[in-house]
Amino acid sequence: MNPSATASPPPLPPAPGPAERGGDFIIETEALGKTYGTQRALADVTLRVPRGTIGLLGPNGAGKSTFIKCLLNLTTPTSGVGRVLGRDIRASQRESREKVGYSPEQDCHIPGMAGCEYVAYCGQLSGMSFRQARQRAHEILDLVGMGQERYRLVDTYSTGMRQRVKLAQALVHDPEVIFLDEPTNGLDPSGREHILRLIGSLWRELGISVVISSHLLQDIERICDRVIIIAHGRLLEHDTIEALKNRHRRIVEIAPAGETDRFLAALSEAGLKVERRSNGRLRVESASDSIEWVLDLMRVHNLPPAEVVANPNALHELFVQALAGNGNGNVANPSLHGSKP
Amino acid sequence: MEASLDLSRWRETPKGVGARRWTIIVTGLQHLLRGRVFLILTIAAWVAGLVVAAFGFLFTQSVATDGWLQTFAENLGPRAEAMVSALGGLVTLYPDICIHGVFTFAFWIHSYLGLGLTLIALTMVVPQLIARDRASNALTIYLSRPLTSTDYLIGKLGIIAGVILMLWTGPLIFGWLTSMMLAPDRDFVVYSLAAFGHALLFNAIALVALAAIALGVSALTRVGRVASIIWISLWLVAGTMAKLPSSPSWLQHVSFSYDLSQVRQQMFRLDEALAAASAQLPLLDQNLVRNLAATGTKAAPTDFTGALIGLALLTIAGSAAFLRRLRSE
Repeated sequence: MNPSATASPPPLPPAPGPAERGGDFIIETEALGKTYGTQRALADVTLRVPRGTIGLLGPNGAGKSTFIKCLLNLTTPTSGVGRVLGRDIRASQRESREKVGYSPEQDCHIPGMAGCEYVAYCGQLSGMSFRQARQRAHEILDLVGMGQERYRLVDTYSTGMRQRVKLAQALVHDPEVIFLDEPTNGLDPSGREHILRLIGSLWRELGISVVISSHLLQDIERICDRVIIIAHGRLLEHDTIEALKNRHRRIVEIAPAGETDRFLAALSEAGLKVERRSNGRLRVESASDSIEWVLDLMRVHNLPPAEVVANPNALHELFVQALAGNGNGNVANPSLHGSKP
Repeated sequence: MEASLDLSRWRETPKGVGARRWTIIVTGLQHLLRGRVFLILTIAAWVAGLVVAAFGFLFTQSVATDGWLQTFAENLGPRAEAMVSALGGLVTLYPDICIHGVFTFAFWIHSYLGLGLTLIALTMVVPQLIARDRASNALTIYLSRPLTSTDYLIGKLGIIAGVILMLWTGPLIFGWLTSMMLAPDRDFVVYSLAAFGHALLFNAIALVALAAIALGVSALTRVGRVASIIWISLWLVAGTMAKLPSSPSWLQHVSFSYDLSQVRQQMFRLDEALAAASAQLPLLDQNLVRNLAATGTKAAPTDFTGALIGLALLTIAGSAAFLRRLRSE
C-alpha cells in the first residue's frame, strides 16, 4: 500500500491569505451581460472572486472568452458592472488594466518583431521604461523556457513557441492578475508540463493571481484552487475545488496490487456499492471524505497493497452534472479534450 | 523540468499614457527605418533639404558685398559679374517681390518632392498601420494593455506624422533655417517667412488628409498587400484619371493627389508671385515679362474650394473607415 500516493492531484501548498495580499477580490461582477445581436453570450453573471489560481470552465462557446474580454473591456458589456482589482472596467479603462496581463486564445503578435523585442515592447506599452522592459523580458522568456529562439521573428515561431511568448508578454509587467485563455493549446507534453508548473507557481511564489480558461479539466484540477463553471453564458458554479468535491458524491478508486477478488469480496461484505472497472480498478461509493476506512478494511482483511485515489475525475463529473442541471443533459460527454473550432 | 521563479519584481509607478503612445510611434518608425527603401527615401529627402539650404544660401549671397557669389561671378567674367550685381540690386530694391517669390518657388518645387517621397513611403506604411495588426490580432495585445483605442490611433497617427516629418517637413525646416542662418541680411528672414508659412500650412493640410486616408485604407482590409493596392489605386489610378481633360469634376476630386495639387497652388500662390514680378520688376526683356505672366496664369488654382471639399470628404471617409474597425470605448 502506498498511502502517500492516495490523493490525485497532490495537494497544493497553502496560498497566502487574502489579508496578506491586499485583502480584496480580483474580480467582482454584478449582473454582467453581453449580447451579440439576438444571441446572448453572457447572462447576468454575478460573482466575487478572491485572489488565487482560478479555473474558468465551460464547454466550447460557453462564454468563457467573452467573460474575460468583458473584464478586460475588450468587448463592451451590454449590461451590469464589473470590477477588476477593485477598479471599474468601464469607468477607469486604462487603470483597470495596468496590473492585468492577458494571454488570448488565438495567435497574436506584432509582425516583424523578434520574441524578446515583442515582449519588451509589451512591457513598454504597460508603462515600463525600455531598460526595465528589456531586462524583465529576458527574465520572463527564460522562465517560459525560450532559449536563443527569442532572437528570431515571432512570425517564424511554432505554435508552442507562440504560446510561450504569449504567456511571457502577459507576465512582463509584473501584473497582479493574469487571464490565460487556453494557455496549453498546441504545446507538446513536456512544454505543457513546464507551462502548467509555471502557472501553478505564479500565485504560490509570486502572489500573481491567475484566471485560466480551459476545457482541459485535469489541468484545472491540478493547478487551481477555485473553479468557475460557465455554460450558455450563465454562471453555474463558483467555489473552491475542495468545496465542490465535498458537494459531489464521494468516490474512492482502489487499484489493488493483486487479489482483486478478495478486495471485491471485502468491500461487498462491508455493504459498499462496488463497481469493477475494465482497467481492473474498483470504484467504491464512500460515506466519508476520508480514506481511513479503506486502510482499516485492508488491515482487518490482511489485503495486499493498493493505490487508493479519493474522488477521481470529480471535477469532470461535477462539470457534467452542472451542465445537466442547467438543462444541458444531452451534453453527456462534452468535448473537453478537443480543441475549439 | 522545473520552472524557476527567480524573477526581479517591477513595482514602480507606470509611465504615463503619453510615454506609451510615444513608444508606439518610435517603435513604428524604427521598424520603418530598418527597411532599405525607406532609408533611401529618407536620405533622398534630406539631400533635397540640403539642396534647398544651398539654393537659399546662394540666393542670399547675391546681396552680400564681396560675398561668395560675387567672388565666384568675378572669376567667370564681367557678364556674370553684371548679372549678379543686377540680381543683388533687384533683391535690395524689391525684397518683397524677389525674396518672397524666389522662396515661394523653392518651397513649391520642394513640396512636389516632399509629397512624392511621402506618398511612396506611405505605400509601405499603409499595410503596417492597422491591416497587419488586425491580421495578427495585435490589436488585442494593444487594447489589453492600459491603452484605449484612441491611444492606439494616436500612436498610428504619430507614425504617419513622423514619416511626413522625416521626409518632408524636417528637410523643409532644415533648408529654410540653414539658409536663413547663413543669410547676410535680416530681410531674407522677414520676406521669406510668408512663403515658409504657406509651405508649412500646405504640409499640415496634407498631413491631416493623408493620415486619415492612409489609416482608413489600412483599416479596410486585413491583408497588407490589398491595402497597398487600394492605396496605390487611390493615389496613381485616381490621380491619372483626374488629369484626363474629359474627367468630370467629381471624379477629379476623388483623387487626393489632384485635390492636394489644387491646395498647393492656392497655398503658394505662385501665380501671384510671378504676376507681381512681371508687373513690378524693371525687367528689360519683354519676353521674360510675358513668360512670367503666362507661367503665373498656368500656376493659378482652378478649383480650390472643390479640392478642399474633396479632401474633407476623403478625410471623413478615411476616419469613418478606421473608427469603424476599432471598438469604441
